[in-house]
Amino acid sequence: MEVKNPVPFLKDALKQLFEKPVTESFPAGDPPKAAPEYRGRIVYHPDLCINCGTCLRVCAPQAMTRTMEPVEGGDRVTFTFDMTSCTFCRLCSDFCSRKAIELTDDYMIVGTKHEDFLVSGTFIKMKPVKKPAPDAAAAKPAPAKPAAEGTPAASPAPEKK
Amino acid sequence: MLRKLIDESAAKSPWIYHINAGSCNGCDIELVSVLTPRYDAERCGFKLTGSPRHADIVVVSGPITVQTRDRVVRTLSQVPEPKVVVALGSCPRSGNVFKGSYSIDGPLDKYCHVDVSVAGCTPKPEAIIAGLAKAAEILKEKRKEMH
Repeated sequence: MEVKNPVPFLKDALKQLFEKPVTESFPAGDPPKAAPEYRGRIVYHPDLCINCGTCLRVCAPQAMTRTMEPVEGGDRVTFTFDMTSCTFCRLCSDFCSRKAIELTDDYMIVGTKHEDFLVSGTFIKMKPVKKPAPDAAAAKPAPAKPAAEGTPAASPAPEKK
Repeated sequence: MLRKLIDESAAKSPWIYHINAGSCNGCDIELVSVLTPRYDAERCGFKLTGSPRHADIVVVSGPITVQTRDRVVRTLSQVPEPKVVVALGSCPRSGNVFKGSYSIDGPLDKYCHVDVSVAGCTPKPEAIIAGLAKAAEILKEKRKEMH
């Protein structure tokens, strides 16, 4: 058999001599950016939250806790997200109607203490203001009204048949 | 002087031992990828050992299951001091989605002191490298305290 190239892989060897290394330079330089839609560190916006509790219901590992203490005119609500318990599935963020929970692309979640992994936020939810007494008297005939309306509304339906 | 030489060289090559305590394999794969050419943690001196008796850093992944509990405790007791325990992923710290199961006897800090935790499910290899670098720092301090 005829040998075409006396030095095998010479071309590749020379090419790779001047190529950028395959290894990422991470510990030396900045960490690379995560892929789009990456689910990383949790950011909670308590000013947007309405305390509906949907995030608590969809969270499989029960990573968040809610504490409520009564204050004057409402409740002080504290949500604490434990990132050592989180699966980063983003269901809480997806189900949040007010976009109060955000999973950022920061993946460097490294720490030595448990407190390094807790994300917490507090807000005060006010109770609805009670209407004055005259309204309560006026509200009494109100339940009867839909019932009265109900009969005419029900009657047109059979007519259509 | 010889002690100083040993300390300085040992600080540059912290050896890793990996315990799978009932992990789903996600964190294990990411830890292996840290040692592959793309992330190449071996250039920082991290080397995966086959025996806990050679290790400086112990990486534990997975919630501690009833089956692995005794083995984890036995393996950790074989690691010579000073040692650093790294909890890889959410599971060893809390049990993650497995918490409350009849077969889980975690978290890891019930059995030993966890020095560094890397949260994520699973963490990215860069985060694992950062966690290991932090563990190496802690190991250096611990070794200094010993003499």
